[in-house]
Amino acid sequence: MYALMALGITLTVSVIKLPNFAHAEYITVGAYAALIASQQFPGNPLLIIVIAGTAGALAALIAHLTVFRALEKQRSSTYTLLLASFAVGLILRYSLFILADSTNLFDRRIQVSLQVLLREGSLIITNIFAWVVPTSLILVMLLSLLLNHTPIGRDMRAMANNLDLARIIGVRVERVKNWTWMLVGLLAGSSGALWGIYSSVSPLMGWFAILSVFAAAILGGMSSFTGTILGAYLVAFSENTVMQFLNFQLGVDFSFKPAVPFIIIILILLFRPQGLTGLFDFLRRGELRR
Amino acid sequence: MKRFLRALLIAVFVLAFSNLAVAQDDLEIITLGVAQPFTGPLGSFGQDFTRGIQLAVMQMNAQLEAAGSKIRFEAVSQDTEGTPEGAARAVRTIVQTTNAQVIVGPLTTSEVLGAKQFVDENGIVIVAPASSGVAGGIPGDNIFRVMYPPDVYAANAFAQIAIARGYQNVVVLHVNDPFGNGLAEKFTTEFQAAGGGDVTVVSYAPNPIDLSAEATRVSAEVARLQGSGSTAFFCVCFLADAQKLLQIALVDPTLSAVEWMGIENLANPQLLEDAAIADFLRAANFISVSFADNSTPLTQPFIDSFTAEFGSAPGPFTNYAFDAANIAMLTILVAGNDGLAVKSMLPFISSHYIGTAVQAYLDENGDQAVVYYGLFQVSPDAPEFVAVGSYDGATRVVTFNQ
Repeated sequence: MYALMALGITLTVSVIKLPNFAHAEYITVGAYAALIASQQFPGNPLLIIVIAGTAGALAALIAHLTVFRALEKQRSSTYTLLLASFAVGLILRYSLFILADSTNLFDRRIQVSLQVLLREGSLIITNIFAWVVPTSLILVMLLSLLLNHTPIGRDMRAMANNLDLARIIGVRVERVKNWTWMLVGLLAGSSGALWGIYSSVSPLMGWFAILSVFAAAILGGMSSFTGTILGAYLVAFSENTVMQFLNFQLGVDFSFKPAVPFIIIILILLFRPQGLTGLFDFLRRGELRR
Repeated sequence: MKRFLRALLIAVFVLAFSNLAVAQDDLEIITLGVAQPFTGPLGSFGQDFTRGIQLAVMQMNAQLEAAGSKIRFEAVSQDTEGTPEGAARAVRTIVQTTNAQVIVGPLTTSEVLGAKQFVDENGIVIVAPASSGVAGGIPGDNIFRVMYPPDVYAANAFAQIAIARGYQNVVVLHVNDPFGNGLAEKFTTEFQAAGGGDVTVVSYAPNPIDLSAEATRVSAEVARLQGSGSTAFFCVCFLADAQKLLQIALVDPTLSAVEWMGIENLANPQLLEDAAIADFLRAANFISVSFADNSTPLTQPFIDSFTAEFGSAPGPFTNYAFDAANIAMLTILVAGNDGLAVKSMLPFISSHYIGTAVQAYLDENGDQAVVYYGLFQVSPDAPEFVAVGSYDGATRVVTFNQ
């Protein structure tokens, strides 16, 4: 799940050049859209995920058109854009609080009832696993196909490599940015729906996850899809398996779990700022910058 | 004659308005501070609680006006953001900008403790409607928790239930905050004092993204303790956290086979909307306690007034905010708007106040000592919680319905 969330961050940083903290709220917008859709169309996870992705894409596009594009036109610095992303996130978050309060939608689960599909020893496959994991993988594969084999993907990679050069060779930068934001929102919204199916939906769910998501993107080097996916698995592995090991073997309390993404971020920034990029050359196909 | 009448008319108007002005000037406005979380995860509670307090103020002002009193109350609210720091900031802001001597709120024990140092040092009184954490029970301080009983009773009730059900060991999963820590610690003491065996405690950080690792540990501990006797699981988790845990427990053979207890938060019909979870909790013989399964002559009038005023029924525990505001205002009317005088008088007024659910009576810590819990389980016939017994805080005895 972190992979799906972190891919959007990597895409924003690479193509738009903005570490967008409002990404957390695009995840939450998707989750709420999925929750409301699940009440209208119960038992139809695919439709729910599509609606969530669309809502996330719309939120990201509207934020771009109303805030980020205007600031870019004024040649605002990255710091200003970063602050603006916090502001957009806050506005979205508290709008969702108002929605949740008025409709009593706090801590609700998206209505996909859990069923065990396969139980063989310690191997258990549930319908939620069967939805979440393949959907995440399919979305990642579609994204990879889009970036590597379509004209818009080629333009995105061109902008990620060198924005000025991309303009010179005729890339329609604004159009590509619009598509990028929609893609980012689509990924975030879909991941919000999948997360809401697995746990529960609240206005702060994206915000609580965002540090781990950034840790995954930073670990991935902020420019590589393959690296980001690996980074996401490493963060999740650290938060669960490593924490379990530390708890069982050394008695480290689970309350320290939220510190894991911070530790990962600090260690990477100190010792390997480029993250996993370049570590596995054979995986370079997934990189945005070549 | 016309000129005379015109002058008379003007004089009447001037006198009328001057009288009105005098009447307005003569009113003594007393500020009642309201510190509640309007934002953050507890925002919906804070907003409903504030409406409950506003209703109490409106009703009190109407009574004061009818009685010809010149005293009026005015509620001034600040957002605690649901955090200890936010609560301290909210209380300080109210006191410094309005000179309020009494604050109704904050909501949680963490918030109450966040504001404690400031109120103790400045002679301000906090009347907290729903804080129940064990850590908040401190004798002699300026904090009164007037309606909702402290968790020492809940801990005792769960210990009595565990003993009555024949559990020899219990594994507790709790949120690592003053509420969770206090309840888990007190439960352990009470359970073992009542003859219970081992209690293993696993804690988790507030607002978890996922509880997989914690669930694995709990499952392993349950499996370990089952070797030495009947073992149960006690979930001291908030609703959202319990939902995450249940997704894992549903497919965990150990957690599916053990009996469950859970705090009041979890006796929530929202949990049972998912048929799989309803079936799971029914099979796990899940039991929870809920305070004030009672009503008084004030219960229905409060619900009716609230609904008429705000267009929707009051949310959970909102009546405690209404009661807390009434106790605060009654005490101010008797003792005057002075924090130390209010502190001295408030226990006396409380013990003569009939609440909307139970009467208030404060113990040596300034906490509610009238405790009746209902015991709830999932109905065998429908996805709903039904009462299966009760707990009386005075006798500390659990009684199951026949």
